[in-house]
Amino acid sequence: MEQQEKNAPNRELSFVTGGEVNIRQDPWWWLVVTVIAIIILLVMIAPFPFKDIVVFARDGVLVTILVTISSYFLMLILGLFGGLGRLSKNKLVFGISSLYVEIIRGIPLLVQLIAWYFASPVVIQKIGVWLNFAPLMYYRANPIITAIVAITVCYGAYMSEIVRSGIQSIPKGQMEAARSLGMSHFQAMRYVVLPQAFRVILPPMGNEFIALLKDSSLVSVVAVADITRKGREFMSAHFNPIETWLMVALLYLVLTLVAARVVSYIEKRSKRGS
Amino acid sequence: MAQAIIEITNVHKRFGHVEALKGVDLTVMEGEVIVIIGPSGSGKSTLLRCINRLEEYEKGSIVVDGIPLDTNQNINAVRREVGMVFQSFNLFAHLTVMQNLMLAQTTVRKRTKEEAEKVSRELLVKVGIPEKAESYPSQLSGGQQQRVAIARALAMNPRVMLFDEPTSALDPEMIKEVLDVMASLAKEGMTMLVVSHEMGFARAAAHRVIFMDEGQIVEEAPPELFFASPTQERTQLFLSKILHL
Ligand SMILES: Nc1ncnc2c1ncn2[C@@H]1O[C@H](COP(=O)(O)OP(=O)(O)OP(=O)(O)O)[C@@H](O)[C@H]1O
Ligand SMILES: [Mg+2]
Repeated sequence: MEQQEKNAPNRELSFVTGGEVNIRQDPWWWLVVTVIAIIILLVMIAPFPFKDIVVFARDGVLVTILVTISSYFLMLILGLFGGLGRLSKNKLVFGISSLYVEIIRGIPLLVQLIAWYFASPVVIQKIGVWLNFAPLMYYRANPIITAIVAITVCYGAYMSEIVRSGIQSIPKGQMEAARSLGMSHFQAMRYVVLPQAFRVILPPMGNEFIALLKDSSLVSVVAVADITRKGREFMSAHFNPIETWLMVALLYLVLTLVAARVVSYIEKRSKRGS
Repeated sequence: MAQAIIEITNVHKRFGHVEALKGVDLTVMEGEVIVIIGPSGSGKSTLLRCINRLEEYEKGSIVVDGIPLDTNQNINAVRREVGMVFQSFNLFAHLTVMQNLMLAQTTVRKRTKEEAEKVSRELLVKVGIPEKAESYPSQLSGGQQQRVAIARALAMNPRVMLFDEPTSALDPEMIKEVLDVMASLAKEGMTMLVVSHEMGFARAAAHRVIFMDEGQIVEEAPPELFFASPTQERTQLFLSKILHL
């Protein structure tokens, strides 16, 4: 429910259906095959502009994948700590993590991206001047790194809430039994609570991956040459918006559909374990 | 029954406005089996949970096996000596029976896997379900789960066992299998504090029966005496209610 606040259109579809790498057991793989076939067909039928777009956007696909995967894993780590912080008895830790979650979730990702890209270098430069420290004075933002930081911080806040509610869904008796056997709080978390919470948060974790993949298109506004930005560049050079955005959409679709299949496979497998 | 193993002195515990324990004194001797009865909300669970510090108490002192429950270090030391069995079993749901028994042995007692597995297998034989070692808790009946929970606590070689209504979540036909395990433990000389309204067990196994009401110990006596001639009016009233059921 909380997730819908962020970016409603991205989140309406639940991608997790079927669930097997084997195409016979997970017919949704046919959809992936079909989309790829359409791309190949278009490229063969009309090399200009379709083949040119694909060639031009190829690096963009890699950038999109790089940004998505790195910020995804970083935000999982941040979300784990954020979620644990939200459950901490330490008032300071609880306060800081709650403030982080509430503030970040109240600001659109696009605004956060732009702020990180344009505002943070100025702040760092000012600090450099203040310290009279040359490397900081001439600091320039690296677009890809800045984008990864921005997405990590934003998604980390949502992930914190997913982790928190996942941990809270595990009955208190599990922790108590572990403590009554002499385990420390840390051991009880590590061996008893978190492994069970992990199974609960796996489905929302999968949805986050797909949402992040799509939201990564926003980095195109801060000079990151991802698929979307490549599409815009191609369109302004060749003036064929229909073909360009058809191809860009198809490229994203391949990525999201493949991701959805992998997510559903991982979920099925983890269920089998119990 | 030579020496005291648990010494509870004037323990007070409140939850917000609710005074759950209003000055409880109790000395438990080594090897003693005590059954605690009393109406709902009288503080029976709270008392047990204070003994292994699942609940903190505001006033008074509890000393277990010579270790006062004050520092964190001591609390962990006490928890190693005190096993607890819960009404709702609380087996680790993501682990097999064998893994449930081994986890604290390897992480807390620092036993090797081989040692821990050997201890676990012996205990599963003792509680009568050696064939369930590789099952998950969800695949067991309530009675089997509770017997695994007892084995899990015993695997730590506790000097004291606490039981909080161990049979009240069980179907009638499974109560006996759990009580039998508890009775044999009592016979072996384990020190036990049992919150339970199984009067048959109290008569057969207990050395002392304690009646609690409104956060206090109202009456205590050996079972023959306790059931035959309770001295307090509140005890008589309570006994007349549960014995009629
Ligand atoms: N975690 C808690 N928060 C607030 N109040 C509590 C909590 N645990 C217990 N209490 C209150 O403390 C009192 C004693 O509760 P306790 O669970 O010890 O009773 P009990 O004798 O075990 O009852 P029962 O037979 O129902 O298990 C009750 O009034 C109860 O409502
Ligand atoms: Mg109780």
